[in-house]
Amino acid sequence: MKVLIASVGYYNLRDLSLGPLMLPQLQKLDWPAHLEFDDFSFGPIAVMQRMQDRPGFFDRVVFLAGVGRGGREPGSIYCYRWKSASPSNEEVQQCVTEGVTGVVSLDNLLVIGEYFKVWPNEIVVIEVEPFSEEWGDDYSEPVQAAVPVLPGLVREAALGPLHRFHDSPFVATLLD
Amino acid sequence: MCFKNLPIEFDSQGKAQLKEGVSNPYTYQVKSLHAEEDQLRSLLAKNGHIKSVDFDPVTRVAGALAFHTVADLKEGKILSANSMATLFRGYEVILKGRDPRDAIFISSRACGVCGGVHATVAAEAMEMAFDIKPPPLGIVVRNMMLALEYLYDHPLHLFLLAGPDYSQAIVEQSNPEIMEKAWRTPAPGADIHGYANMGKLMEDMNPLTGSLYLEALHMTRVAREAYVLLGAKYPHPETIVPGGVSVTITLQTFNEVYARLTKFFDYSKKAAAIWDDLTEFFYDANPRYKEVGSRPMNIIDTGVWDDPYAYDASYKNCNEWGERRWATPGVIIQGDLVTTRLQDINIGVEEFVDHSFYEQWNSHRFKTDPSGNPLSPYHAWNKETIPKPQGQNWKERYTWDTAPRWDRISVEAGAYARLLITAMAKKLPHTRFIEATGTSLKIQLPRASKPALELEWHVPQVWNAFERNRARAYCIAYTAMVCMDNWQHGMDMLKSGETAVSTKFEIPKKGLHIGAGFWGAGRGFLTHHLVAENGVISNYQINTPSTINASPRDPFGTPGPYEQAVMNTPILERYSGPDDFKGIDVLRAIRSFDPCMPCTTHIHVDGSDRVVSREVNTCACGID
Repeated sequence: MKVLIASVGYYNLRDLSLGPLMLPQLQKLDWPAHLEFDDFSFGPIAVMQRMQDRPGFFDRVVFLAGVGRGGREPGSIYCYRWKSASPSNEEVQQCVTEGVTGVVSLDNLLVIGEYFKVWPNEIVVIEVEPFSEEWGDDYSEPVQAAVPVLPGLVREAALGPLHRFHDSPFVATLLD
Repeated sequence: MCFKNLPIEFDSQGKAQLKEGVSNPYTYQVKSLHAEEDQLRSLLAKNGHIKSVDFDPVTRVAGALAFHTVADLKEGKILSANSMATLFRGYEVILKGRDPRDAIFISSRACGVCGGVHATVAAEAMEMAFDIKPPPLGIVVRNMMLALEYLYDHPLHLFLLAGPDYSQAIVEQSNPEIMEKAWRTPAPGADIHGYANMGKLMEDMNPLTGSLYLEALHMTRVAREAYVLLGAKYPHPETIVPGGVSVTITLQTFNEVYARLTKFFDYSKKAAAIWDDLTEFFYDANPRYKEVGSRPMNIIDTGVWDDPYAYDASYKNCNEWGERRWATPGVIIQGDLVTTRLQDINIGVEEFVDHSFYEQWNSHRFKTDPSGNPLSPYHAWNKETIPKPQGQNWKERYTWDTAPRWDRISVEAGAYARLLITAMAKKLPHTRFIEATGTSLKIQLPRASKPALELEWHVPQVWNAFERNRARAYCIAYTAMVCMDNWQHGMDMLKSGETAVSTKFEIPKKGLHIGAGFWGAGRGFLTHHLVAENGVISNYQINTPSTINASPRDPFGTPGPYEQAVMNTPILERYSGPDDFKGIDVLRAIRSFDPCMPCTTHIHVDGSDRVVSREVNTCACGID
């Protein structure tokens, strides 16, 4: 089974940079050979085109990102198995517009990839709710506290059975 | 004598000076907008067919643009228009007090398409301020990188953002009679683009599913790959430096770029034929389409693509090296080219904030530019950015955009300005592939899969949304051949061992240094004005094409370009009442400018100088 662990986010924006900042740390750990890493922070259209070059190559993709959705406890980790909600053509167009004009966003990436059919059936998202979105290359205290949990969670999402991951976000600590 | 409104005259040597006997040369009276707004309110109250129509947000544009109109749905007229930049950009505030080199990386984030352009203009501002001259190959590589960046941007505008407005999916809803005609109308350019009739062509313009939409998406990849081969990273390269570029360039790099560039030879033939056919088809279907997005041909551009043997970065010589560019700098007023000198362009630009969410600054630090030409207190080297968030009020202040004006005239910016000014000026020194005739540009496109072709773009008789898009389509050919010309210059340099791509420099730790970068984004005119003192930035001002085009009314009461274009737009779509009014003609007018507004939301914390980034992202061209 080919698995990709991908980060999404901007650099130098503290908790919103969690994905790209964590990725090199994750890469240093021991992983099976069938697993690849990539930072998908270079724009959803370019990512989609890269995925189109390897059609059907991956069986599972695990995304890791700091994503602020509001109404969630800062530093809390949310995991879910992503399934497309079939956005309208207007919504996809808007995502493409944002994508080609520079917006880097996990949601846009998921929608665009789904529309252009580049994702495998198994997509797992691990999000951390940010506390600080200011400039900087470190994490806020709540997010820093969440960081040690993430490698184990990513490993489980990448290598474990999927039935533990629901279709809607749930707080990751429930896994244990 | 290019200025009619500014108090500037020229002596017999062509040196600018303030007119004698004018006591307060730059003062002005702000024309009140109250009477206009009160009249509109009265009309709205008395007439059921006069409606406020808001486009918020304007979709299929980069970033956050909102548009307020008052439309007479009985007469099919737009009575009033207000362009609103809804977010604050704030790079000017962010850059203060930093090392000037930071401007390259930070200002690059002003746009998710034009990041490389902002980086380059920042580097050029430093080159001027600190007297740094890049080596010829460094200039050539920079020219190529920015041509490739434009080749990313042009297809994106033509087929992903503005293009769908002319697609079957849209036209069938707004004007079914036109779509019906399209299916019956043969396409004159069928030999080149392959569509037998206009209906089929417009069907392929459909968003997401049309093959022209998908092909454009693919071409953005081709351009991006070529850019990355030279600049390592897109859209925010880290290889732009004052004095050139920090990359290793080899024959192999050039060959790999060439393999991608050639794909634009055929694509540009096709794009020009498509937009020629679309434009003429709509004119034929209803001549009033010539009024959509129309406004006086008042155009400004700094020119782009430096001559590797003429550019010396100095302000003193910028008139000369500016006119050696592959795109000639200039200003067109009422269809007449009034100057091609960068210094005239520079000293003629003022930025007003009377209807914007900023406080007026009071200083007039630089009364002249480095060559002794008079400078307005509203000029970028004097301007200060003092944000003042407040409620929206059409009579007073309604946008985060400012009102840049040249000679106190509302001018517009765009990629098409390069074609217009270069064609009219007839000063283009590089004629291997492009010839300026005074009324047209002839572009020689080499054979690729399709035969070689001479494209000729003519200065249009009318200036409107369709001509903006048609010219933009020809920009693909123009840009590709500028890139090709530079590629050949670069190959000659590499073969002769002229391989240096950058010049060493140091940022002076003491003293006052001012400079400006004059270049162009994919969407046209772009300037960065730098004031550095004792090694750090004391003032930095960015003026982008969307700052100009999205501007509000100026203190003289003149609307900005989007506003003017929308107010001149007839409503030609079919509707039975306000409920099914889509505003497609208004949207065509706005999108023809290729708006690029802010995606970066920087929230200024009132009462402090703290700026908080709420949402990361990159495209903030339009906002001050």
